[in-house]
Amino acid sequence: MGTPIIEANDLGVQFIRNRRRKLRLREMFIYRGGRQPSTADHFWPLRHLTFQIHEGEAVGVIGRNGTGKSTLLKLIAGVLHPDEGSVACYGRVAPLLQLSAGFADDLTGRENVQLLGSLHGLSRSQIKSKFDEIISFAEVDKFVDTPLRHYSSGMKVRLGFSVIAQLTHPILLVDEVLAVGDRAFRTKCYTVIDRMLKEGRTLVLVSHSDSDLTRFCSRGLYINAGVLHTDGPIREALAAYNSAVTG
Amino acid sequence: MKPRSTTTVWRHRDVLWLLVRRDLTLKYQQSFLGYIWSLVEPLVLALIYWFVFGVLYTTKIGVGGGAYPLFLICGLFPWMWANSSMSESANALTSQSRLITTMKVPRELFPIGRVLGRFAEFVAGLPVLAVFALIYSGHFGLSWLAMPLAVVMQMALLVGIALILAPLTVMMRDVARMVRLVQRMLFYATPILYPLAKVTESGAPEWVKNIYLANPLVGIFQLYHAMFFPEEMPSLSLLGVSAFGCFGVLALGWWTFRRLEPAVLKEL
Repeated sequence: MGTPIIEANDLGVQFIRNRRRKLRLREMFIYRGGRQPSTADHFWPLRHLTFQIHEGEAVGVIGRNGTGKSTLLKLIAGVLHPDEGSVACYGRVAPLLQLSAGFADDLTGRENVQLLGSLHGLSRSQIKSKFDEIISFAEVDKFVDTPLRHYSSGMKVRLGFSVIAQLTHPILLVDEVLAVGDRAFRTKCYTVIDRMLKEGRTLVLVSHSDSDLTRFCSRGLYINAGVLHTDGPIREALAAYNSAVTG
Repeated sequence: MKPRSTTTVWRHRDVLWLLVRRDLTLKYQQSFLGYIWSLVEPLVLALIYWFVFGVLYTTKIGVGGGAYPLFLICGLFPWMWANSSMSESANALTSQSRLITTMKVPRELFPIGRVLGRFAEFVAGLPVLAVFALIYSGHFGLSWLAMPLAVVMQMALLVGIALILAPLTVMMRDVARMVRLVQRMLFYATPILYPLAKVTESGAPEWVKNIYLANPLVGIFQLYHAMFFPEEMPSLSLLGVSAFGCFGVLALGWWTFRRLEPAVLKEL
Protein backbone atom coordinates (compact mmCIF):
# COMPACT_ATOMS: atom_id res chain seq x y z
CA MET A 1 0.00 0.00 0.00
CA GLY A 2 2.98 2.28 -0.45
CA THR A 3 5.08 4.04 2.14
CA PRO A 4 3.58 5.92 5.05
CA ILE A 5 3.50 9.64 4.44
CA ILE A 6 2.27 10.61 7.89
CA GLU A 7 3.41 8.62 10.86
CA ALA A 8 2.26 9.20 14.42
CA ASN A 9 3.87 7.29 17.21
CA ASP A 10 2.38 7.33 20.70
CA LEU A 11 1.49 10.94 20.05
CA GLY A 12 0.32 13.04 22.97
CA VAL A 13 0.04 16.67 23.91
CA GLN A 14 -0.68 18.19 27.27
CA PHE A 15 -2.54 21.40 27.99
CA ILE A 16 -2.94 23.34 31.15
CA ARG A 17 -6.47 24.33 31.97
CA ASN A 18 -7.17 27.72 33.50
CA ARG A 19 -3.62 28.83 33.62
CA ARG A 20 -3.63 32.25 35.14
CA ARG A 21 -0.59 33.50 33.27
CA LYS A 22 1.44 33.27 36.38
CA LEU A 23 3.84 30.55 35.42
CA ARG A 24 6.98 31.05 37.35
CA LEU A 25 10.04 31.84 35.30
CA ARG A 26 11.96 29.04 36.89
CA GLU A 27 9.27 26.58 35.94
CA MET A 28 9.18 27.73 32.34
CA PHE A 29 12.85 27.18 31.81
CA ILE A 30 13.69 24.24 33.97
CA TYR A 31 10.61 22.09 33.87
CA ARG A 32 10.16 20.31 30.61
CA GLY A 33 8.46 16.97 30.17
CA GLY A 34 10.07 14.85 32.82
CA ARG A 35 8.42 15.15 36.16
CA GLN A 36 4.90 16.44 36.05
CA PRO A 37 3.33 18.67 38.61
CA SER A 38 0.45 16.46 39.64
CA THR A 39 -2.36 18.97 39.59
CA ALA A 40 -5.73 18.38 38.04
CA ASP A 41 -5.16 21.42 35.86
CA HIS A 42 -3.08 19.41 33.45
CA PHE A 43 -4.94 17.35 30.93
CA TRP A 44 -4.24 15.51 27.74
CA PRO A 45 -6.47 16.45 24.82
CA LEU A 46 -4.75 13.69 22.90
CA ARG A 47 -2.70 10.78 24.10
CA HIS A 48 -1.24 7.48 22.90
CA LEU A 49 -2.17 8.00 19.28
CA THR A 50 -0.40 5.67 16.91
CA PHE A 51 -1.31 5.46 13.26
CA GLN A 52 0.16 5.58 9.80
CA ILE A 53 -1.33 7.25 6.80
CA HIS A 54 -0.16 6.13 3.41
CA GLU A 55 0.32 8.11 0.27
CA GLY A 56 -2.91 8.76 -1.59
CA GLU A 57 -5.16 7.89 1.31
CA ALA A 58 -8.08 10.06 2.29
CA VAL A 59 -8.66 9.90 6.00
CA GLY A 60 -11.57 11.39 7.88
CA VAL A 61 -11.18 12.37 11.51
CA ILE A 62 -14.39 12.00 13.48
CA GLY A 63 -15.30 12.80 17.02
CA ARG A 64 -17.40 15.02 19.21
CA ASN A 65 -16.56 18.64 19.81
CA GLY A 66 -13.54 19.11 22.00
CA THR A 67 -12.09 15.66 21.58
CA GLY A 68 -8.90 16.88 19.99
CA LYS A 69 -9.58 16.63 16.26
CA SER A 70 -8.26 20.07 15.47
CA THR A 71 -5.42 19.57 17.89
CA LEU A 72 -4.46 16.49 15.93
CA LEU A 73 -4.38 18.45 12.67
CA LYS A 74 -2.28 21.13 14.33
CA LEU A 75 0.18 18.52 15.52
CA ILE A 76 0.43 17.05 12.03
CA ALA A 77 0.82 20.51 10.55
CA GLY A 78 3.60 21.25 13.01
CA VAL A 79 2.01 24.36 14.49
CA LEU A 80 1.87 22.58 17.83
CA HIS A 81 4.63 20.51 19.37
CA PRO A 82 3.89 17.12 20.96
CA ASP A 83 4.81 16.51 24.58
CA GLU A 84 4.96 12.78 24.08
CA GLY A 85 5.79 10.58 21.15
CA SER A 86 6.23 11.98 17.69
CA VAL A 87 4.54 12.74 14.43
CA ALA A 88 6.36 12.93 11.14
CA CYS A 89 5.31 13.97 7.66
CA TYR A 90 7.30 12.88 4.65
CA GLY A 91 6.26 15.57 2.26
CA ARG A 92 5.16 19.15 2.26
CA VAL A 93 1.99 19.88 4.15
CA ALA A 94 -0.72 22.34 3.15
CA PRO A 95 -2.59 23.09 6.35
CA LEU A 96 -6.04 24.46 5.60
CA LEU A 97 -6.93 25.09 9.18
CA GLN A 98 -8.52 28.46 8.62
CA LEU A 99 -8.98 29.66 5.10
CA SER A 100 -8.64 33.34 5.77
CA ALA A 101 -5.80 33.02 8.26
CA GLY A 102 -3.04 34.78 6.39
CA PHE A 103 -5.19 37.63 5.17
CA ALA A 104 -4.70 41.23 6.17
CA ASP A 105 -7.90 43.23 6.03
CA ASP A 106 -6.21 46.45 4.98
CA LEU A 107 -4.56 45.02 1.91
CA THR A 108 -6.29 44.52 -1.40
CA GLY A 109 -7.38 41.17 -2.78
CA ARG A 110 -4.40 41.17 -5.12
CA GLU A 111 -1.90 41.80 -2.35
CA ASN A 112 -3.51 39.21 -0.16
CA VAL A 113 -3.32 36.54 -2.84
CA GLN A 114 0.38 37.24 -3.19
CA LEU A 115 0.82 37.19 0.55
CA LEU A 116 -1.09 34.00 1.23
CA GLY A 117 0.43 32.27 -1.79
CA SER A 118 3.96 33.00 -0.69
CA LEU A 119 3.21 32.05 2.89
CA HIS A 120 2.12 28.67 1.54
CA GLY A 121 5.35 28.44 -0.39
CA LEU A 122 4.34 29.42 -3.91
CA SER A 123 6.96 31.35 -5.80
CA ARG A 124 6.36 34.80 -7.18
CA SER A 125 6.22 33.57 -10.76
CA GLN A 126 3.84 30.74 -9.87
CA ILE A 127 1.47 33.21 -8.30
CA LYS A 128 1.72 35.50 -11.27
CA SER A 129 0.86 32.79 -13.75
CA LYS A 130 -2.02 31.46 -11.67
CA PHE A 131 -3.33 34.82 -10.57
CA ASP A 132 -6.21 35.19 -13.03
CA GLU A 133 -7.29 31.63 -12.41
CA ILE A 134 -7.35 32.22 -8.67
CA ILE A 135 -9.40 35.38 -9.00
CA SER A 136 -11.94 33.96 -11.42
CA PHE A 137 -12.32 30.77 -9.39
CA ALA A 138 -13.06 32.86 -6.32
CA GLU A 139 -15.51 34.96 -8.35
CA VAL A 140 -14.10 38.23 -7.02
CA ASP A 141 -12.98 39.70 -10.37
CA LYS A 142 -14.51 43.08 -9.69
CA PHE A 143 -12.90 43.40 -6.28
CA VAL A 144 -9.29 42.56 -7.04
CA ASP A 145 -8.06 45.97 -5.99
CA THR A 146 -10.51 46.52 -3.17
CA PRO A 147 -9.21 46.22 0.39
CA LEU A 148 -10.23 42.95 1.93
CA ARG A 149 -12.14 44.65 4.67
CA HIS A 150 -14.87 45.42 2.13
CA TYR A 151 -15.20 41.75 1.21
CA SER A 152 -18.02 39.64 2.55
CA SER A 153 -16.96 36.71 4.69
CA GLY A 154 -17.96 34.35 1.90
CA MET A 155 -15.72 36.17 -0.54
CA LYS A 156 -12.76 35.94 1.79
CA VAL A 157 -13.25 32.22 2.19
CA ARG A 158 -13.60 31.75 -1.56
CA LEU A 159 -10.40 33.67 -2.16
CA GLY A 160 -8.61 31.63 0.47
CA PHE A 161 -9.74 28.37 -1.04
CA SER A 162 -8.79 29.49 -4.54
CA VAL A 163 -5.23 30.09 -3.46
CA ILE A 164 -5.11 26.73 -1.78
CA ALA A 165 -6.50 25.01 -4.87
CA GLN A 166 -3.28 26.02 -6.63
CA LEU A 167 -0.97 24.41 -4.10
CA THR A 168 0.88 21.30 -5.12
CA HIS A 169 1.69 20.03 -1.65
CA PRO A 170 1.29 16.25 -1.38
CA ILE A 171 -0.43 16.39 2.02
CA LEU A 172 -3.63 18.32 2.64
CA LEU A 173 -5.01 18.92 6.09
CA VAL A 174 -8.56 20.23 5.96
CA ASP A 175 -10.45 21.42 9.00
CA GLU A 176 -14.15 22.01 8.36
CA VAL A 177 -13.47 24.54 5.66
CA LEU A 178 -15.99 22.91 3.35
CA ALA A 179 -18.78 23.88 5.67
CA VAL A 180 -18.60 27.48 4.56
CA GLY A 181 -19.57 29.04 1.28
CA ASP A 182 -22.83 28.66 -0.59
CA ARG A 183 -23.90 25.52 -2.39
CA ALA A 184 -22.54 26.55 -5.77
CA PHE A 185 -19.13 27.26 -4.37
CA ARG A 186 -19.15 24.07 -2.33
CA THR A 187 -19.66 22.09 -5.50
CA LYS A 188 -16.58 23.76 -6.95
CA CYS A 189 -14.62 22.90 -3.83
CA TYR A 190 -15.66 19.28 -4.13
CA THR A 191 -14.43 19.20 -7.71
CA VAL A 192 -11.08 20.58 -6.63
CA ILE A 193 -10.68 18.08 -3.82
CA ASP A 194 -11.69 15.23 -6.11
CA ARG A 195 -9.07 16.37 -8.58
CA MET A 196 -6.45 16.54 -5.85
CA LEU A 197 -7.26 13.05 -4.67
CA LYS A 198 -7.04 11.75 -8.23
CA GLU A 199 -3.58 13.24 -8.43
CA GLY A 200 -2.65 10.89 -5.62
CA ARG A 201 -2.43 13.41 -2.83
CA THR A 202 -3.07 12.56 0.76
CA LEU A 203 -6.01 14.13 2.55
CA VAL A 204 -6.79 14.36 6.23
CA LEU A 205 -10.25 15.81 6.73
CA VAL A 206 -11.88 16.87 9.96
CA SER A 207 -15.61 17.14 9.55
CA HIS A 208 -18.96 16.62 11.16
CA SER A 209 -20.70 16.01 7.89
CA ASP A 210 -21.31 12.32 7.20
CA SER A 211 -21.85 13.00 3.53
CA ASP A 212 -18.55 14.87 3.11
CA LEU A 213 -16.74 12.15 4.98
CA THR A 214 -18.16 9.26 3.02
CA ARG A 215 -17.77 11.15 -0.21
CA PHE A 216 -14.03 11.71 0.08
CA CYS A 217 -12.63 9.40 2.68
CA SER A 218 -11.99 5.70 2.57
CA ARG A 219 -10.68 5.46 6.08
CA GLY A 220 -11.85 6.96 9.33
CA LEU A 221 -10.19 7.76 12.63
CA TYR A 222 -12.73 8.05 15.42
CA ILE A 223 -11.26 9.93 18.36
CA ASN A 224 -13.02 9.86 21.67
CA ALA A 225 -11.82 11.63 24.80
CA GLY A 226 -8.35 12.04 23.37
CA VAL A 227 -7.69 8.45 22.44
CA LEU A 228 -8.02 6.67 19.12
CA HIS A 229 -11.21 4.65 19.44
CA THR A 230 -11.63 3.20 15.98
CA ASP A 231 -9.26 3.15 13.03
CA GLY A 232 -10.79 1.49 10.02
CA PRO A 233 -12.97 1.93 6.96
CA ILE A 234 -14.91 5.17 7.12
CA ARG A 235 -18.29 3.39 7.46
CA GLU A 236 -17.06 1.50 10.48
CA ALA A 237 -15.66 4.60 12.14
CA LEU A 238 -18.84 6.52 11.48
CA ALA A 239 -20.92 3.68 12.84
CA ALA A 240 -18.83 3.61 16.01
CA TYR A 241 -19.22 7.34 16.37
CA ASN A 242 -22.95 7.33 15.73
CA SER A 243 -23.63 4.51 18.13
CA ALA A 244 -21.59 6.28 20.80
CA VAL A 245 -23.50 9.49 20.29
CA THR A 246 -26.97 8.02 20.17
CA GLY A 247 -26.38 5.07 22.46
CA MET B 1 9.01 18.85 15.42
CA LYS B 2 12.48 18.39 14.01
CA PRO B 3 15.53 20.04 15.49
CA ARG B 4 16.08 23.28 13.70
CA SER B 5 19.12 25.40 13.32
CA THR B 6 20.01 28.94 12.50
CA THR B 7 19.83 28.15 8.80
CA THR B 8 16.03 27.94 9.08
CA VAL B 9 15.73 31.68 9.06
CA TRP B 10 17.93 31.97 6.04
CA ARG B 11 15.99 29.31 4.14
CA HIS B 12 12.77 31.18 4.81
CA ARG B 13 14.17 34.57 3.97
CA ASP B 14 11.54 35.18 1.30
CA VAL B 15 8.79 34.70 3.88
CA LEU B 16 10.67 37.01 6.22
CA TRP B 17 10.94 39.60 3.48
CA LEU B 18 7.24 39.22 2.83
CA LEU B 19 6.32 39.72 6.47
CA VAL B 20 8.45 42.83 6.65
CA ARG B 21 6.90 44.21 3.49
CA ARG B 22 3.39 43.47 4.71
CA ASP B 23 4.24 45.12 8.00
CA LEU B 24 5.48 48.27 6.30
CA THR B 25 2.65 48.46 3.76
CA LEU B 26 0.08 48.07 6.49
CA LYS B 27 1.74 50.69 8.59
CA TYR B 28 2.10 53.35 5.96
CA GLN B 29 -0.70 52.66 3.56
CA GLN B 30 -3.35 54.56 5.42
CA SER B 31 -1.38 57.53 6.58
CA PHE B 32 -1.10 60.46 4.25
CA LEU B 33 2.48 61.31 5.06
CA GLY B 34 3.50 57.67 4.95
CA TYR B 35 7.05 56.98 5.87
CA ILE B 36 7.73 60.66 6.53
CA TRP B 37 6.31 59.94 9.97
CA SER B 38 9.26 57.77 10.84
CA LEU B 39 11.44 60.85 10.22
CA VAL B 40 9.21 63.36 11.95
CA GLU B 41 9.27 61.59 15.27
CA PRO B 42 13.03 61.60 15.90
CA LEU B 43 13.29 65.10 14.45
CA VAL B 44 10.71 66.48 16.84
CA LEU B 45 12.37 64.67 19.72
CA ALA B 46 15.68 66.16 18.68
CA LEU B 47 14.09 69.61 18.64
CA ILE B 48 12.76 69.14 22.16
CA TYR B 49 16.03 67.88 23.57
CA TRP B 50 17.96 70.57 21.74
CA PHE B 51 15.75 73.20 23.34
CA VAL B 52 16.05 71.79 26.84
CA PHE B 53 19.65 70.70 26.91
CA GLY B 54 21.16 72.78 24.14
CA VAL B 55 19.49 76.12 24.75
CA LEU B 56 18.47 76.03 28.41
CA TYR B 57 21.39 74.00 29.74
CA THR B 58 23.84 75.19 27.02
CA THR B 59 25.43 71.87 26.19
CA LYS B 60 28.44 72.38 23.91
CA ILE B 61 29.69 69.65 21.67
CA GLY B 62 32.14 69.44 18.78
CA VAL B 63 34.71 71.91 17.54
CA GLY B 64 33.38 75.33 18.50
CA GLY B 65 30.66 73.67 20.53
CA GLY B 66 27.83 74.27 18.07
CA ALA B 67 27.21 70.76 16.83
CA TYR B 68 24.81 69.59 19.52
CA PRO B 69 21.89 69.14 17.07
CA LEU B 70 24.00 66.81 14.94
CA PHE B 71 25.02 64.95 18.07
CA LEU B 72 21.37 64.49 19.01
CA ILE B 73 20.27 63.41 15.56
CA CYS B 74 22.92 60.78 15.14
CA GLY B 75 21.93 59.29 18.48
CA LEU B 76 18.17 59.62 18.18
CA PHE B 77 17.74 57.91 14.82
CA PRO B 78 19.35 54.65 15.94
CA TRP B 79 17.55 55.00 19.26
CA MET B 80 14.19 55.12 17.48
CA TRP B 81 15.14 51.88 15.77
CA ALA B 82 16.03 50.27 19.09
CA ASN B 83 13.02 51.68 20.88
CA SER B 84 10.34 50.72 18.37
CA SER B 85 11.94 47.32 17.77
CA MET B 86 11.70 46.51 21.44
CA SER B 87 8.10 47.58 21.87
CA GLU B 88 6.90 46.04 18.62
CA SER B 89 8.75 42.77 18.92
CA ALA B 90 7.20 42.26 22.34
CA ASN B 91 3.79 41.71 20.76
CA ALA B 92 5.09 40.15 17.54
CA LEU B 93 3.65 36.75 18.42
CA THR B 94 0.49 37.78 20.24
CA SER B 95 -0.69 40.10 17.49
CA GLN B 96 -0.18 37.56 14.73
CA SER B 97 -1.40 34.52 16.58
CA ARG B 98 -3.91 33.55 13.92
CA LEU B 99 -1.22 33.28 11.33
CA ILE B 100 1.11 31.43 13.65
CA THR B 101 -1.40 28.81 14.74
CA THR B 102 -2.52 27.96 11.23
CA MET B 103 0.55 28.27 9.07
CA LYS B 104 3.75 26.38 9.36
CA VAL B 105 6.21 29.23 9.24
CA PRO B 106 9.24 29.27 11.53
CA ARG B 107 8.00 31.29 14.46
CA GLU B 108 11.21 33.22 15.01
CA LEU B 109 10.56 35.05 11.76
CA PHE B 110 7.85 37.14 13.39
CA PRO B 111 9.95 38.92 16.02
CA ILE B 112 12.92 39.14 13.66
CA GLY B 113 10.65 40.66 11.03
CA ARG B 114 9.66 43.43 13.41
CA VAL B 115 13.30 44.30 14.03
CA LEU B 116 14.00 44.36 10.31
CA GLY B 117 10.96 46.51 9.59
CA ARG B 118 12.15 49.14 12.03
CA PHE B 119 15.63 48.84 10.56
CA ALA B 120 14.19 49.73 7.16
CA GLU B 121 12.80 52.91 8.68
CA PHE B 122 16.18 53.66 10.18
CA VAL B 123 17.80 53.30 6.76
CA ALA B 124 15.13 55.54 5.28
CA GLY B 125 16.16 58.20 7.77
CA LEU B 126 19.84 58.17 6.84
CA PRO B 127 19.52 60.93 4.21
CA VAL B 128 18.28 63.24 6.96
CA LEU B 129 21.35 62.37 8.97
CA ALA B 130 23.51 63.19 5.95
CA VAL B 131 21.81 66.56 5.57
CA PHE B 132 22.53 67.41 9.20
CA ALA B 133 26.11 66.28 8.73
CA LEU B 134 26.46 68.73 5.84
CA ILE B 135 24.88 71.62 7.73
CA TYR B 136 27.09 71.13 10.78
CA SER B 137 30.11 70.31 8.63
CA GLY B 138 30.62 66.98 10.23
CA HIS B 139 33.39 65.38 8.26
CA PHE B 140 32.78 62.58 5.81
CA GLY B 141 35.54 60.08 5.88
CA LEU B 142 36.87 56.86 7.25
CA SER B 143 35.07 57.42 10.53
CA TRP B 144 31.84 56.55 8.74
CA LEU B 145 33.04 52.98 8.79
CA ALA B 146 32.03 52.99 12.44
CA MET B 147 28.41 52.90 11.36
CA PRO B 148 28.23 49.44 9.70
CA LEU B 149 29.91 48.00 12.78
CA ALA B 150 27.39 49.74 15.02
CA VAL B 151 24.52 48.50 12.86
CA VAL B 152 25.69 44.89 12.99
CA MET B 153 26.06 45.02 16.76
CA GLN B 154 22.72 46.72 17.24
CA MET B 155 21.01 44.23 14.94
CA ALA B 156 22.39 41.30 16.94
CA LEU B 157 21.31 42.89 20.19
CA LEU B 158 17.81 43.80 19.02
CA VAL B 159 17.15 40.38 17.47
CA GLY B 160 18.28 38.79 20.71
CA ILE B 161 15.98 41.02 22.75
CA ALA B 162 13.09 40.39 20.34
CA LEU B 163 13.51 36.63 20.65
CA ILE B 164 13.33 36.94 24.42
CA LEU B 165 10.49 39.44 24.66
CA ALA B 166 8.10 37.97 22.09
CA PRO B 167 7.60 34.54 23.74
CA LEU B 168 7.71 36.01 27.25
CA THR B 169 4.85 38.35 26.38
CA VAL B 170 2.77 35.38 25.32
CA MET B 171 3.30 33.75 28.69
CA MET B 172 2.93 36.90 30.76
CA ARG B 173 1.20 39.89 29.30
CA ASP B 174 2.71 42.23 31.88
CA VAL B 175 6.02 41.98 30.08
CA ALA B 176 4.88 44.67 27.65
CA ARG B 177 4.44 47.12 30.49
CA MET B 178 7.78 46.29 31.96
CA VAL B 179 9.40 46.79 28.59
CA ARG B 180 8.15 50.36 28.42
CA LEU B 181 9.74 51.15 31.74
CA VAL B 182 13.03 49.52 30.84
CA GLN B 183 13.08 51.38 27.53
CA ARG B 184 12.83 54.68 29.31
CA MET B 185 15.65 53.72 31.64
CA LEU B 186 17.82 52.57 28.76
CA PHE B 187 17.25 55.84 26.96
CA TYR B 188 18.86 57.79 29.76
CA ALA B 189 21.39 55.08 30.52
CA THR B 190 22.87 55.40 27.05
CA PRO B 191 24.94 58.31 25.78
CA ILE B 192 22.32 59.77 23.45
CA LEU B 193 21.63 63.19 24.94
CA TYR B 194 25.04 63.66 26.53
CA PRO B 195 28.59 62.61 25.70
CA LEU B 196 29.94 59.58 27.51
CA ALA B 197 32.60 61.74 29.19
CA LYS B 198 29.85 63.25 31.36
CA VAL B 199 29.47 59.87 32.99
CA THR B 200 33.08 58.76 33.16
CA GLU B 201 34.21 62.13 34.54
CA SER B 202 31.34 62.40 36.97
CA GLY B 203 31.72 61.83 40.69
CA ALA B 204 29.70 58.63 40.60
CA PRO B 205 31.32 55.66 42.38
CA GLU B 206 33.36 53.31 40.24
CA TRP B 207 30.87 50.42 40.46
CA VAL B 208 28.05 52.60 39.14
CA LYS B 209 30.18 53.53 36.16
CA ASN B 210 30.99 49.88 35.57
CA ILE B 211 27.33 48.95 35.54
CA TYR B 212 26.68 51.80 33.17
CA LEU B 213 29.43 50.67 30.81
CA ALA B 214 28.15 47.12 30.83
CA ASN B 215 25.11 48.24 28.87
CA PRO B 216 25.90 47.06 25.33
CA LEU B 217 24.10 50.09 23.89
CA VAL B 218 26.84 52.37 25.25
CA GLY B 219 29.47 51.03 22.87
CA ILE B 220 27.01 51.02 19.97
CA PHE B 221 25.99 54.63 20.42
CA GLN B 222 29.58 55.71 20.91
CA LEU B 223 30.27 54.23 17.49
CA TYR B 224 27.44 56.24 15.96
CA HIS B 225 28.73 59.41 17.54
CA ALA B 226 32.26 58.63 16.47
CA MET B 227 31.16 59.11 12.86
CA PHE B 228 31.22 62.86 13.37
CA PHE B 229 32.95 63.32 16.70
CA PRO B 230 36.24 61.38 16.60
CA GLU B 231 36.83 62.00 20.31
CA GLU B 232 33.83 59.76 21.03
CA MET B 233 35.41 56.72 19.38
CA PRO B 234 35.00 53.92 21.95
CA SER B 235 38.07 52.21 23.31
CA LEU B 236 38.73 48.63 22.24
CA SER B 237 37.83 47.36 25.67
CA LEU B 238 34.49 49.17 25.64
CA LEU B 239 33.83 47.81 22.16
CA GLY B 240 34.74 44.33 23.35
CA VAL B 241 32.33 44.54 26.28
CA SER B 242 29.62 45.85 24.00
CA ALA B 243 30.10 43.23 21.29
CA PHE B 244 30.21 40.49 23.90
CA GLY B 245 26.96 41.81 25.34
CA CYS B 246 25.25 42.01 21.95
CA PHE B 247 26.12 38.52 20.81
CA GLY B 248 25.56 37.15 24.28
CA VAL B 249 22.02 38.51 24.22
CA LEU B 250 21.53 37.09 20.72
CA ALA B 251 22.58 33.63 21.89
CA LEU B 252 20.41 33.90 24.98
CA GLY B 253 17.49 34.97 22.83
CA TRP B 254 17.92 32.04 20.50
CA TRP B 255 18.04 29.64 23.40
CA THR B 256 15.06 31.22 25.17
CA PHE B 257 12.95 31.10 22.05
CA ARG B 258 13.74 27.43 21.45
CA ARG B 259 12.93 26.67 25.04
CA LEU B 260 9.62 28.50 25.20
CA GLU B 261 8.32 27.70 21.72
CA PRO B 262 6.28 24.58 22.56
CA ALA B 263 4.58 26.30 25.48
CA VAL B 264 3.98 29.45 23.45
CA LEU B 265 2.26 27.52 20.68
CA LYS B 266 -0.19 26.03 23.14
CA GLU B 267 -0.87 29.38 24.67
CA LEU B 268 -1.60 31.27 21.46
